[in-house]
Amino acid sequence: MSPQLAGQIELLGQVLISGILLGGLYALIGLGMSLIMGVMKIINLAHGELMMVAMYMTYWAFTLWHVDPYVSLLIVCPLMFLLGVAIQKFLITPVMEAESILPQNQVLLTVGIGLVLANLALLLFTANYRSVPVSYASKTIYWDLKLGGQTISLSISYPFLTAFGIAVLLGAALFLFLGMTDLGRMIRATAQDKRAAALMGINTRKITYITFGIGAALVGAAGALLDPVYYLYPQIGGPFTNKAFVITILGGLGNIPGAVLGGLVLGLAESLGSVYVSLGYKDAFGFIIFVLVLIFLPRGLLGKGRAQ
Amino acid sequence: MNRKAIFAATGLALLAVFPLAVQNPYVLHLLIMTLLWVLLGQAWNLLGGFTGQISYGHAAFFGVGAYTTGILVKSGLSPAAAWSGLLLGGLMAALIASVIGWICFRLRGPYFSLSVLALAEVLRLVAVNWKQLTNGAEGILYIPAFRSKAHYYWIILAIAALAFVVIRAVMRSKLGFYFLSIREDQDAAESLGIDATKYKLYSLLISAFFTGAAGSFYMNYLGFIDPGIVFSIADISIMMILVTILGGAATLAGPIVGAVIYILVSEFFRVWFKSGHLIFFGILIIVIIIFFPAGIVGTIKERRAGRKLRRAGAARESAAA
Amino acid sequence: MTTRKLFALLALAAAIGLFVPALPAPAEAKAFTVGIPLPLTGAEAKFGEMEKQAYDMAVDEINAKGGVNGVKLALDIQDSGGKPETATAIVEKFITINKYPIVVGEYTSQCSYAVAGVCEKYNVPYLVVTGAADKITQQGWKNVFRLNPPASLYNLGVFSFFEQVARPKTIAILYENTDFGNSTSKAMKDYCDSHGVYVVLSEGYQAGAVDFKPILQKVKSLRPDIVYMVSYLMDASLLMRQSKELDINPQAFIGGGAGHTLPEFLQNAAEASEYCMSATLWTPQVKYPGAKEFFDNFKKKFNKEADYHGAEAYAAAYVLADTLKRSKAATSDDLRASLAGTDMMTAFGPVKFVSWGQFTNQNKMDTLVLQVVGKKYETVWPSTAASAKFVYPVPRWRERK
Repeated sequence: MSPQLAGQIELLGQVLISGILLGGLYALIGLGMSLIMGVMKIINLAHGELMMVAMYMTYWAFTLWHVDPYVSLLIVCPLMFLLGVAIQKFLITPVMEAESILPQNQVLLTVGIGLVLANLALLLFTANYRSVPVSYASKTIYWDLKLGGQTISLSISYPFLTAFGIAVLLGAALFLFLGMTDLGRMIRATAQDKRAAALMGINTRKITYITFGIGAALVGAAGALLDPVYYLYPQIGGPFTNKAFVITILGGLGNIPGAVLGGLVLGLAESLGSVYVSLGYKDAFGFIIFVLVLIFLPRGLLGKGRAQ
Repeated sequence: MNRKAIFAATGLALLAVFPLAVQNPYVLHLLIMTLLWVLLGQAWNLLGGFTGQISYGHAAFFGVGAYTTGILVKSGLSPAAAWSGLLLGGLMAALIASVIGWICFRLRGPYFSLSVLALAEVLRLVAVNWKQLTNGAEGILYIPAFRSKAHYYWIILAIAALAFVVIRAVMRSKLGFYFLSIREDQDAAESLGIDATKYKLYSLLISAFFTGAAGSFYMNYLGFIDPGIVFSIADISIMMILVTILGGAATLAGPIVGAVIYILVSEFFRVWFKSGHLIFFGILIIVIIIFFPAGIVGTIKERRAGRKLRRAGAARESAAA
Repeated sequence: MTTRKLFALLALAAAIGLFVPALPAPAEAKAFTVGIPLPLTGAEAKFGEMEKQAYDMAVDEINAKGGVNGVKLALDIQDSGGKPETATAIVEKFITINKYPIVVGEYTSQCSYAVAGVCEKYNVPYLVVTGAADKITQQGWKNVFRLNPPASLYNLGVFSFFEQVARPKTIAILYENTDFGNSTSKAMKDYCDSHGVYVVLSEGYQAGAVDFKPILQKVKSLRPDIVYMVSYLMDASLLMRQSKELDINPQAFIGGGAGHTLPEFLQNAAEASEYCMSATLWTPQVKYPGAKEFFDNFKKKFNKEADYHGAEAYAAAYVLADTLKRSKAATSDDLRASLAGTDMMTAFGPVKFVSWGQFTNQNKMDTLVLQVVGKKYETVWPSTAASAKFVYPVPRWRERK
């Protein structure tokens, strides 16, 4: 095999690995929004800012008390759950139940919440970039393959791999939770038909609180996992909110395996697109796929989501 | 009715002669920005408030308008005047809107909103990457032609007033009723034989035209644009929504009130606190949506309507007693 | 409340709102105030803050020595948030309401460019301190003077390093898709194209990506001699860390300034920053008088390290003081003439405004190359200014300790 061909194979291999690992993290970010959108039909445009809050929590836990980000998952997720419940209970539910001309008031409300969160962080923590320099931040697993006389070296980032693994675990846990527990069934029932669920005796209001809480906890976990490999500043949320709704639509609302698949698709689209098409348009690929899926596959990639 | 018309005409006349009395560029600048946002608010309101199609991506049209003018002047096809490319900017924005509408109007509610947002972002990336056309991230700059702000003031006043007149006329026509019925219940409207997609498109075209014209004006007035500024989600798309809901969506006066408050608050915060206006806007959005979902003008109208009903009821009671 | 009452109230509020900020800020008695727009909030807030601190420190020093001709200097620093629209509004206010005869500052190229346009329109002199895009001083504007070198010349030090030491055959260029990234990388690309260095890849990226590995792997597969990057802080850190993870081994990694010269780059990129070179305008080791003292005093006072942005601001304050001293009166015309005649040495380097080629009123300076050696920034080129010997080619990642 020629070195050039080996180089191209190595490139493709590395790009695929990057796409998949990143996709897992994206999936975790999208899971929360998919759940929220599936149950409450509201787009949470503050999703990225919730992630930002969790990232700051993880940062401070690390900086002040040397808590490893993976350990702080145990603290951050419950805290984010409580924050999510509070936001839903005190801000969003009053709006959902009020009459208004504009059909989208809840969404606009989340815009306001996002603005407040981001700028509060800016006020409290300044615009300085922060990072969580754990010792294993750059730890890499090297995978050398021998093909046709050439060696192909693929590198897998350890923190990314861990994030991917935890994301998949959380996705699976969520799936099982929704499928097998009573609370999970109540959530799915509320998602399918709120009025019918209420008629069945389900406290749909409480379900919405819990759902938002879980969604916040999930994106909080994503934030904690992102801290070691990325960096942190108050306005970090926006692009991730965009990715979250792309993933949500790709997967179909409320469809957990769909959201995971959607995350992978987005990660791969970005990786492959940035190398083989154009680096500058990397972010556009996700959006274009998003619009195409919306039009041609309204039930999401797996065909199992809720159509509009 | 007549009182309102006289009031409006007087207001317009006062506004028109204002720069003859006050030459302070800073004051004129604030008024120009206010009028710009009145225009933007009204444009968004037509599609969002009156037709019920919430677009999170109106920056797409603003940016297209701004870049139309910018490219025209940059390539020397048009002089750097205050009116350069205004009409063309509006038309280009409407053209892009027809494409976006054709793609996105099959979708309803939040899906429509997000898809417009997605396409606006794609346009921004195009503006960043297509450097031969747009100068990419470097942006387009030229010195505004007029030193005195009065010319710019009159132009934006004229466009904003035109938008007001046009939108008012549209809402009073059959078209307006179709828009409202689509907003209230698209399926019911369609079952009555209203081609929802066609009318949503009309609404979008008018809305995009004025947004594009605003973008063109922005380019001419400020003399500098880049993709991050004119295609900005946070600064343009979201603020257009804020201005409208603050004043009151689906009212004609709403965007005016909203724009005035938006500019005043921004400037107030910038001068006295150096920053923090965004937190205030965030809180404002939350407060409005929870407590005054109809916006300022809308809430006033509701209260007056409520008072009228109560007075009518009391009159009936006293008459019956 | 009737609609009419509401409009009346709004009109009143508008009137108050418009005129209150329009009131000129109370000026100190016998102080010469200069208006300085800076991004104190927004994405560039970090640099805005550093420059503000540097300006303040310089002015404190100048005033402690009695000010300029007995008059104290005062600064009116306003936050533009990095938005050209706000910057122009601020400067318009400076000129038309505060009546400041001279404007200094701004950080980003866009804001500096926009401010320059405004000042030229009103015929008020403007000293550009950090905005690097070439075109700012290529418009023939007689009011615009620039202290810092233009972006295309940032790399002069690197170019001479190429010619005399590295002689690379191939180069890969990665740059942030911003004004600064575009200008600086274009200058490098133009140089390479005209000097026989083959550009294997030149791609702009959107700042803020989480994973650069795909494009970095593409760079790796092309095996360039030099990998040249123009990035701000966090992207620079990620790019270097991920380059290390992918085991990319060019002869050298060279940055185009900005992110690759900040102190935080060393912390964030950790071992991945070692041996990383960058074009730079200034380091604490340069032999200009006052450079080391500035760096040490800044560190003592603000507990952080200044980079070339801080040095620019510090020097700008001194240039301003010098201009004021030599000026007949504190009017725009006199200050412009006086500024044009500047010929002095500052902690940032020599300052003299000359015109050549398309540039007017531009300060011409050598630029340097720094390298991270032993976890510290050292000036390594040109050898006349070097504080340590350069390491080239840089050791392979897996061979480093």
